[in-house]
Amino acid sequence: MFNYFIRRFYLLTITAFILTLLAFIIEHWTAHSDINDNMIFHYWDYMLAIMQGEFGYSTIDNQPIIRVGLIAFASTLELCFFAFILAGLVGIPLGLFAGLKRNGGIDYCIMTLALIGLALPVFWVAILFTMLPNMGGWLMPIDGNISSIYEVPVVTGFLFIDSLLVSDKYQLDAFLNHLIHIILPSSVLAIFLISEIIRLTRHAVTMVMRTNYIKAAHAKGLTRSQVVYRHVLKNATPPIVHQLRLQISTIISFAMTIEIVFSYQGAGMWLFDSIQQGDYIALSTAILIISGFILLSTILVDLFLVIISPTIRKSFYADQ
Amino acid sequence: MRFLSIYLCLTLLSGCYQAESSLTDSLIYCTDEAPSSFNPQISHDVASLDATTHQLYNRLVKIDPISQHFIADVATHWSVSADKMAYTFYLRQDINFHHNDYFTPSRKLNADDVIYSFQRLLSKKHPFHNVNISKQAQTYLYPQPFSNLVRQIIKIDDHTIRFVLNKPSVTLLANLAAHYAVIHSKEYALTLLKSGQAEKIDSHPIGTGPYQFKQNSNRQLIRYQAHKYPWQTPVNINNLIFDITPNSTKRYAKLLSGECDIITNPASSQVHQISKNHHITLSIQPTTNVALIAFNTQKPYLNNAVIRNALTQAIDMKNILDAVFFDTATVTHSLLAESSWAYNPRIPKADFNPQQSRFLLKQSNFDFSKTLRILTPIKNSIFNPHFYKTAELIQSNLADIGVISKIIQLRHVELQLALTEGEYDLYLTGISPYTNDPDNLFRPLLNCNANALAGNSSQWCDNKMQRLLDDTLLEVNFIQRVKNYYQLQEDIQAQKIYIPIAHLLRFDVSNKNISKLQINPLTGINFHHVKKVAPLIKEADL
Repeated sequence: MFNYFIRRFYLLTITAFILTLLAFIIEHWTAHSDINDNMIFHYWDYMLAIMQGEFGYSTIDNQPIIRVGLIAFASTLELCFFAFILAGLVGIPLGLFAGLKRNGGIDYCIMTLALIGLALPVFWVAILFTMLPNMGGWLMPIDGNISSIYEVPVVTGFLFIDSLLVSDKYQLDAFLNHLIHIILPSSVLAIFLISEIIRLTRHAVTMVMRTNYIKAAHAKGLTRSQVVYRHVLKNATPPIVHQLRLQISTIISFAMTIEIVFSYQGAGMWLFDSIQQGDYIALSTAILIISGFILLSTILVDLFLVIISPTIRKSFYADQ
Repeated sequence: MRFLSIYLCLTLLSGCYQAESSLTDSLIYCTDEAPSSFNPQISHDVASLDATTHQLYNRLVKIDPISQHFIADVATHWSVSADKMAYTFYLRQDINFHHNDYFTPSRKLNADDVIYSFQRLLSKKHPFHNVNISKQAQTYLYPQPFSNLVRQIIKIDDHTIRFVLNKPSVTLLANLAAHYAVIHSKEYALTLLKSGQAEKIDSHPIGTGPYQFKQNSNRQLIRYQAHKYPWQTPVNINNLIFDITPNSTKRYAKLLSGECDIITNPASSQVHQISKNHHITLSIQPTTNVALIAFNTQKPYLNNAVIRNALTQAIDMKNILDAVFFDTATVTHSLLAESSWAYNPRIPKADFNPQQSRFLLKQSNFDFSKTLRILTPIKNSIFNPHFYKTAELIQSNLADIGVISKIIQLRHVELQLALTEGEYDLYLTGISPYTNDPDNLFRPLLNCNANALAGNSSQWCDNKMQRLLDDTLLEVNFIQRVKNYYQLQEDIQAQKIYIPIAHLLRFDVSNKNISKLQINPLTGINFHHVKKVAPLIKEADL
């Protein structure tokens, strides 16, 4: 088990090193003032500064860029998280139905919808979502994270938590307002996620349904729902989680695109604004924040998989 | 499928939406641009005026919105000497400056504050004269006519000051009622100097206006709160919020959904639809702002009035107005607005006549192989809702008579460089005068000392016209002044130095629950008396 973690740590270190190199090159060519500096010495200084948490200051408002970036990225994570919940609530049951009724009418209907969801360009759907509800007389906010009437100081960076912290001033109004603001952008992101989850769940469920232990469970006299809840879902979850792990970076990039359409103040909007205003230091910082998160989340998902799946737990002891 | 119902319930939470509109002590004004600073002494763009003049500051005198007469503001009254060379102002004694987290004033407003504020504009030795403003920008950002007008400001006592002029002039009061004549706190300025943070004077303002500055977050949101110790009638709205939403469609959607109470500058294509919506109020104000095309008269091939006249006849202004401006501007043949007392109704109109244009160009031996460069800003502004489309229409008009042209779109910094170096033939721009005095419009456009950045984008210099401009400023006989401006307009029209496209209208849209909003086309929006009641809009009605 110790060897397993050492192996992961090595991989993490090497990837992190490559990423700092990439971030450094961008910083050197854009934000750094003296391009005649020796690159090696500059890289050394850059690494020392990063180790000390000194990422530089934004030229727009003179705030520490890492703080601004992390606050923005927290909003993006909130958006992704909310979309995940929506997509999970809709996608898993639909995928399960499709898997259980494979090659039936329901399966074809669900899979057609899933394919349409995957085929639609996310920015186009986002633009459509900014117009459709309002055209139907259903007034939904299409701009920003929260109404500007609410003054929510940044404590955690996660607006759902921060808006609850000011509940003595606004009761639950600020929280609900943020919730309403997040519905449309997260629904757009959820469309892609639902399609992906349906596809993955259907495949995993089909695979599990073909195994002998499911046949044995049926032979034991278990009802269909007992088989599904006790055996199918438990065994189908690890491959779904494993596949979704690979999609984290796609989901974040889609979320960033959606943010720009909805002017949702997350990492996408932050980068877009920074580049427009010539604050290029945001680019290298964003690479480090986003890729750092993806690296970290990969490890956390691995740990989660180990907890929920005994078969993966074997890899702990693979070299023994 | 039952999970779907959870999602649907969640989306039905929009029923709770519009809650913020019911907060009648807060008002959200959605604007298209962030102010360039919080000091109208150095920032003259509409966004800066809206965010500052009436909200944060007061002036010695102001113009009554109904009678259009000068009325007292910081001054209780004033007197003029018989020779009209000296104006004495008597100040109120009960005016408090703003109190907030970064400054607590120890005294009320007095003559020192007034003199210190004006000296920043007038004296190169003033410690703030060079703060936040480059030497080059000083020539066009500090109001030159005002600087040339005043010789000295004398403190008679703590609450009496006297403006002594270089020559008798009738324009002093108009200048003192202009947006740049705001009063700052000397005590605050000295505190900033002492702490080495002089530049904060324009970003963290202290004034005497009905609202005090609270927060400016990254050019997206500006928060004001009511003046803690107001000397005027207290405001009805405690929290004033400027929400910067550059996209006009989103601004309109936010107004309908109650996220904005008032929006400004809707897209020209939306105006018709907005005017049909009975649940919102559309305010239309004629302005003296004019969209225009400038010919670079320093270019040898454009240094001929016949050629400029021919090119003018080739451009179909009505088409530009219909295709770009829709109903947001009125067609014009004069740089001066029709409402001006110096407007000359007799100046000949320029007609659209491509055949005549081609004939004149051929007669003047115009080089048709020459490619004309049409310069436009990349970012649309109040002067033009779509610079590029306007340039394309002009390009197509010119192509019809055989003149080749190319459009060059530049960002602000590059544009300034191109203007300074004269790297253009035609330039799409506009001008927004600071006061109603015609000199304020003509001087930047025609003055030999003004460069392209200061407004003289035609690079024009003519001694006869310059003399007329200077003489008119000092002319005390009103009839003669009017005559001189009539003459000036005829000269401009004959020389075709600038082609006016349209006089622009200012549009502001508010929800029906907002009342008593005042909009001055010269000094900006005024929220002092605004009232907000519980929302009237019903979703189903929209």
